[in-house]
Amino acid sequence: MSSQERSADTEAAVQSTQEDRMQGADDRFNSKLREAFGSSPFILTKFDQFMNWVRGSSMFMLQFGIACCSIEMMATYAIKHDLDRFGAGIPRASPRQADVIIVPGTIVSKFAPRMKRVYDQMPEPKFVVSMGSCTISGGPFQKGYNVVKGAEEVIPCDIHVPGCPPRPEALIYGVAKLQERIANGESSPVTVKPYELKQFGDLEQDELVDHLAQDIDEETLVMRYNWADSP
Amino acid sequence: MSLEDPQDQRGAQDRELVGVTEEGVDYDALEDLLGEKVIGRESHVNAEAFVIRPDEVQDTLFALRDEAGFDHCSCLTAQEYEDRYESIYHLKKYDDPTQEVGVVVPTSKRAPRSQTAEPVYRTADWHEREAYDLIGIDYDEHPDLRRILLPETWQGHPMGMDYNQDQPQVVTFESHTNPLAEDHKGEESDTMFINIGPHHPATHGVLHLKTVLDGEQVADVKPDIGYLHRCEEQMAQQGKYRKEIMPYPDRWDYSSAGILNEWAYARAAEDLADIDVPEYAQVVRTMSAELSRMAGHMLAVGTFALDVYGDFTAIFQYAFRDREKILNLLEDLTGQRLMFNYLRLGGLAWDLPEPREEYFDTVRDFLDELPQNVEEYHDLISSNEIFQIRCVDTGVLEPDVAKSYGATGPVARGSGIDYDLRRDDPYGYYPELDWDVITEDGCDNYARVLCRLQEVEQSARIIEQCVDLLEDWPEEDREIQSNVPRTLRPDEDAEIYRAVEAAKGELGIYIRSDGTDKPARFKIRSPCFSNLQTLPELSEGEYIPDLVASLGSLDIILGEVDR
Amino acid sequence: MTGTAGTVGETASVFLQSGSGQGATEGAPLADTVGRLLGFGSNMGPGETLIAAFIGAFFIGNLMLAMTGVAGPWAKRKITAAFTDRIAVNRVGPFGLLIIVADAVRLLSKELVVPDGVDRPAWDIAPILMAGSALLGFAVIPMGNGIQLADPETGLVYVFAVSSLASLGLVAAGYASNNKYSLLGGLRSIAQNIAYEIPLVITAASVVIFAGTLQLSGIVAAQTEPLVTILGVSIPAWYAFVNPFAFVLFMAANLAEVGRNPFDIPEAPTEIVAGYQTEYSSVYFVLMYLGEFLHIFLGGAIIATLFLGGPAGPVLPGIVWFIIKIWAVFLFTQWMRSAIPRVRIDQLIEIGWKGMLVLSFANLVLTAVIVGLIA
Repeated sequence: MSSQERSADTEAAVQSTQEDRMQGADDRFNSKLREAFGSSPFILTKFDQFMNWVRGSSMFMLQFGIACCSIEMMATYAIKHDLDRFGAGIPRASPRQADVIIVPGTIVSKFAPRMKRVYDQMPEPKFVVSMGSCTISGGPFQKGYNVVKGAEEVIPCDIHVPGCPPRPEALIYGVAKLQERIANGESSPVTVKPYELKQFGDLEQDELVDHLAQDIDEETLVMRYNWADSP
Repeated sequence: MSLEDPQDQRGAQDRELVGVTEEGVDYDALEDLLGEKVIGRESHVNAEAFVIRPDEVQDTLFALRDEAGFDHCSCLTAQEYEDRYESIYHLKKYDDPTQEVGVVVPTSKRAPRSQTAEPVYRTADWHEREAYDLIGIDYDEHPDLRRILLPETWQGHPMGMDYNQDQPQVVTFESHTNPLAEDHKGEESDTMFINIGPHHPATHGVLHLKTVLDGEQVADVKPDIGYLHRCEEQMAQQGKYRKEIMPYPDRWDYSSAGILNEWAYARAAEDLADIDVPEYAQVVRTMSAELSRMAGHMLAVGTFALDVYGDFTAIFQYAFRDREKILNLLEDLTGQRLMFNYLRLGGLAWDLPEPREEYFDTVRDFLDELPQNVEEYHDLISSNEIFQIRCVDTGVLEPDVAKSYGATGPVARGSGIDYDLRRDDPYGYYPELDWDVITEDGCDNYARVLCRLQEVEQSARIIEQCVDLLEDWPEEDREIQSNVPRTLRPDEDAEIYRAVEAAKGELGIYIRSDGTDKPARFKIRSPCFSNLQTLPELSEGEYIPDLVASLGSLDIILGEVDR
Repeated sequence: MTGTAGTVGETASVFLQSGSGQGATEGAPLADTVGRLLGFGSNMGPGETLIAAFIGAFFIGNLMLAMTGVAGPWAKRKITAAFTDRIAVNRVGPFGLLIIVADAVRLLSKELVVPDGVDRPAWDIAPILMAGSALLGFAVIPMGNGIQLADPETGLVYVFAVSSLASLGLVAAGYASNNKYSLLGGLRSIAQNIAYEIPLVITAASVVIFAGTLQLSGIVAAQTEPLVTILGVSIPAWYAFVNPFAFVLFMAANLAEVGRNPFDIPEAPTEIVAGYQTEYSSVYFVLMYLGEFLHIFLGGAIIATLFLGGPAGPVLPGIVWFIIKIWAVFLFTQWMRSAIPRVRIDQLIEIGWKGMLVLSFANLVLTAVIVGLIA
């Protein structure tokens, strides 16, 4: 994924999304209070530390299964590995009540818009653990015609756990690392490639869009994949 | 479709079936039966195939089903040649799956149109949609010819020859409309459309059920798949036979049933290239495959309990506890927990772990504990009265419906269909061992779960015998690999369709060779794909909880459904 | 939803009236004790009564909320883990106890997502209603050591009245969320609550026939006499021993009332995601969660009062016994949740109307006949 390989456009887009995410400190930790005070007075610093500890100590996971890795993810919740020891073992079915989404598997073109929506439905602050090779780069299926080359093409990821699939121990390590980072107030330099949900009418006009114009309503949300630009 | 005329089918069974002889299938008799419809004949490695015209598909298949007893449309393979498109219907018999026949339907390159087989075998519905989606063959008179795996706005047919993989695609994310809205009578009546999935706790992955509810009852349900279509067939076609394909089968049915899937590929490729497997390796394969099956069934029982009980409760956790033990055994053997990559064409990656005695002891310990654990499941699940009122007589799948949809595995056996390829189409070391095929006559969710629990016990029996055999195997005879050429190039235009009994049912592989070291066409017949097709039959008119339970009892793995 | 607000207001005023009006006459309600401690003297004016009542209510409310706080994020996990051979939280603080702080603060600090098209203010009122209705119920429960906010003559009726207000919250949450899963959850819960509240009340009526009063302190007092004495140990006349049939019926109906397995169908995560609470996040979710656990504890308190002799017990002070009994009932609900499958909605309704209702009436008639013959 070296940046030289990307076209100039893509790189600019990546930088702009990076900047959007990285205004000042990570937005997810920013509070209205801090805006009001302007600087970091003692009481707010202590409060920040406390909040970081809180967020790093306890998290609800989204009950979210995609592919092979979700089997290992279930094993991580279950008896032998018991992720709940780390205060991270309550799977919530509704994204509204979840803090962390573990993305366990290959993301394909049909699923990426749905995953984006599920991620959008989660309340801030939210964190993403991408589990397995497929969510890093597409893994063994990278050359497939239908496979999105990594979760970061769609949503920002905080921790990558490599493996195919990662062992439960590796996932626990990933979650523990995430908790450590949150507790220390660190944030990841997040890069999101702009596969965004857009209204069909807002897409740039080209041959494909003209061709689809009869089938798709102007206001329908769509995601456009430029496979040629993929790493 | 057989249900329209059950009399006729029963008649067919009483009648003398055409083309059945002592040795197997008499293809000349079948050719006489089809008469003028046959315009050519091909020899596949597994069976003979008749070439027919694209507008006589239904007549041919009706004749083969009703007169010759081919009641199982196992698979439909579509492929593109330089000069033509081709659909191959692989037909079998539930009574004797060694009796096979292929029906090859070539269509022209310019206008690939072929008659649909859906009225004959209902399972052809989805198979033809898949062929349309990936290859681009149109099936005339098909009730609902839409894309099935790829999004509806996709451009091009990716398994065709001139597909450009780099072209941009647009995928929609739209709200769906109620397909029954037009059927409403009057102002008062109302149904509600609801999307179950693709992100939903009960869909076991990324299945999308377009459901229409009438109150709490399911008025209409349409499974929408393809959210995990990760181009497995393309991947296999890009890999060399010898080693590059074997890692992928593990990822089809990823419920730790990997070795069973590997065996499906190994069996097809070995038969295609005429490779022998040493007897010792067969025994180890049998043992490891049954361990895989147990792990897969444990997961199935655990997640089914999850669906019926609610949260991550005791049964789910106990199932995972026992599954961990199996995974430990498999990890000792193969070095991996889930993606084993253990079989090789013509043998195995390596022998049993040393010290062997210790390994056998761990396996024996596990087998000794197993009856007690299974008893615990029976206490917790099958003898629980609330569980019984939830599962008995819900999600009923009648045997003839199951056959028409090509259901196999525990789903078919739970409907009383005595069909198990390990016994009926023997491979590996199964014929030498002493075990039973489990069938349950309940046809309901309960029967399917019971079937799985009992199959776990049968697998344990098989493993026990394998361990005994392996323990006494003379050291000098422990041959794990036969001679296989470094670069494997099967004969040009050799075609084969071979299936094994995987955890979910009949897992078949079709391979066509073009003389190179990579397959020209690699088609996976996934049991879950066919089994999932029965879901509307199971759940229409039932309540939402039963829909969820039925889905759980079908035990689908989306990786295998979508491939 | 103005109706809802009105109902809450009315209930609150009833609550205050009962706190001040009945307080001076009966037993040792908490307001009097607090008044004495504050040095208001024996004849308190209306203002002083109000202050004392508020302090008392604050105490009881916080006691219950604290128990819920322990139960929700920590005890529930630990109990479930014990049933499933796991350990659960053990990294944050001793025995993972600090997870209570972490969970509570984290949930409260999350972004409150208000989805498009929700029906406000019903959507905002529902969680408050659910938590509030359960808290109101504790006002009349005698917890021993004189801890009882009010002791109206119709205490039992009052408890059932306020606790069924939760149904209103459930259906409002389900309807206002603009989510089909929530709607299904709301409808399921209303069907379930109606089907099971009637057997619940009728079973409780059999206790009233025994005790001859609706006043909760009276019911507790009626259970103090010894039933039998075996080997010097006298077994008190708790109605669980006097009429075990009614006790079992009430326990079962209570499971449905608090929505735990086998009757957890309004939530049913594997069917309808999280039912009525699917769309709630942050503070509102905390309130929903609190409400759920408060209802379990209120159920436990009612069972303890009606069947287990209230705060009665040897050696330890009454309030301790009372809390032990509540927790025992909580443990029971968690046990059920871990081990029993859930029934289907039609089966649930069938069990409710054809089974429980008939049995509870039979129990009532039988009790009436027996009491009539003996008395």
